[in-house]
Amino acid sequence: MPDVTTLIEVLLIVIKVVVIAMILFSLPMPLTWLERKVAGHIQVRLGPWRVGPHGILQAVADAIKLMLKEDITPDKADKFLFRLAPLLALVPAFAVFVTIPFGESISIPFIERDVTLYIADMNVGILYILAIAGLGIYGVILGGWASNSKYSLLGALRSSAQMISYEIAISFAAIGVVMIANSLSLVDIVGAQSGSILNWNILYLPVGPVWFAIFLIASLAEINRIPFDLPEDEGTLGAGFHTEYSGMRFSLFMLAEYVAMVTVSILCVLLFFGGWNAPFDMPLPIPPIPAIFWFIGKVSAFIYFFMWLRFTLPRYRYDQLMTLGWKVLIPISLVNILVTGYMRI
Amino acid sequence: MSGKFDIVGLVRKVIFSDFARGLAITLKYNVSRSITLKYPDDEKWVPYVRFRGAHTLNRDPSGKELCVACELCAKACPTKCITVIPEEDDTGRGIADRVAKVWKVDLVRCMFCGFCEDACPTRAIRLGREYELACTDISSTVRFKDALLKPQPIHEGIAGGVVAKARFEKTEAGIRVVADTGIIKKRAL
Repeated sequence: MPDVTTLIEVLLIVIKVVVIAMILFSLPMPLTWLERKVAGHIQVRLGPWRVGPHGILQAVADAIKLMLKEDITPDKADKFLFRLAPLLALVPAFAVFVTIPFGESISIPFIERDVTLYIADMNVGILYILAIAGLGIYGVILGGWASNSKYSLLGALRSSAQMISYEIAISFAAIGVVMIANSLSLVDIVGAQSGSILNWNILYLPVGPVWFAIFLIASLAEINRIPFDLPEDEGTLGAGFHTEYSGMRFSLFMLAEYVAMVTVSILCVLLFFGGWNAPFDMPLPIPPIPAIFWFIGKVSAFIYFFMWLRFTLPRYRYDQLMTLGWKVLIPISLVNILVTGYMRI
Repeated sequence: MSGKFDIVGLVRKVIFSDFARGLAITLKYNVSRSITLKYPDDEKWVPYVRFRGAHTLNRDPSGKELCVACELCAKACPTKCITVIPEEDDTGRGIADRVAKVWKVDLVRCMFCGFCEDACPTRAIRLGREYELACTDISSTVRFKDALLKPQPIHEGIAGGVVAKARFEKTEAGIRVVADTGIIKKRAL
């Protein structure tokens, strides 16, 4: 019979997991709405307008539509893999959040306990994230392969080549941050950036901005967003690896994509922009802004930045993508590793 | 990498200046006003007087038909979509003894060139400002004299080129979008 403290401990973890899963499942709805709004306004349109005030219920309407749509499995598809692929894309995207910290700890008023705002503080946190996020590619490859369609297969092939190339650069960027912070744990990495804006890794001159640029470009390629969305290149590939998917299975892919975008925004904030730390000390009369608001604000800014980028840049050609990955990012990473190492001696 | 080493270009590449310029342009558009009209349930475009929409037949200030059925419009029409059959009528219906018995225009064939307007010696025929000509029935695309003689929903005196408040109006023929020219706003288009 375990004692009460252990039970509460377990219960808290279960609650945290459920809450994070709920948030992640519902997050794509406001994000799709926001993305369409940003797209509309950048193109001097209004975006969704009809469903609810300023079209805010558009995402709900879309969700209902996707749920009611016929779920088609192509006749010649590999049925088992075809059904498995969306789950393989979705699960890693969610599993990453086990080790992502949203803040240090807050005290819950009624039960008189300090609750940490992360599920687990792994001592290999960043390694775990890179490893699990790399598994998401299996969903894309298997989805493209199992569809038994040429467009899907081409999309999946491009995707695998792209993800493998850019995973190297993204890992190098993570190694750079680990060298600066002397820890693999994300909580410690953020802790090392506390104090003021000058301690943030982005301002660890001269290597910080370079690491950030490498991380940003490589993670854009990793989550298949414009300008690197070759796996779902509408112009040449139909819809890429999810050409044959419809209804709920398609929406699982989209869900994974949006969660991945949130993950990358969070990682950018945690690794380079000081996590939940305020950029400077507030003047005394104003009560300090809670850390979680800094965190959410920075992450939102990054999410907006990714949407902004999407409607600014055209898509890269396949050979340009490979050139950028292998001939530019990886050599710069190697040089940067040396410089960072020299600075840390 | 052949030829001269371009140090300025390299620096530009390193600090992503092209990207920054592109992002600045899209940000400018993001915060600018959208040009979308909330048609049909909120706003409706009122065209300029020079606009060439569906035909109208006009009357003189005393209410007499201006058309003298000279058939010049039918002659001038490149698509031969206007049919005029004249008749003798001295009851004072028209400004002359000769009036149109039948005056019809086939809007499916009409290309809204405005030659009929130019040909008309009495300025009876004008191309009006009605542009919602879509219909589900091909027979209703032919317009006859009675319908064309009715007063226009947008008065000739209104200059146009503005966005007006719109409202729906249910009639026997269906739902129409009516522009309320009392509430207007200028908008660059």
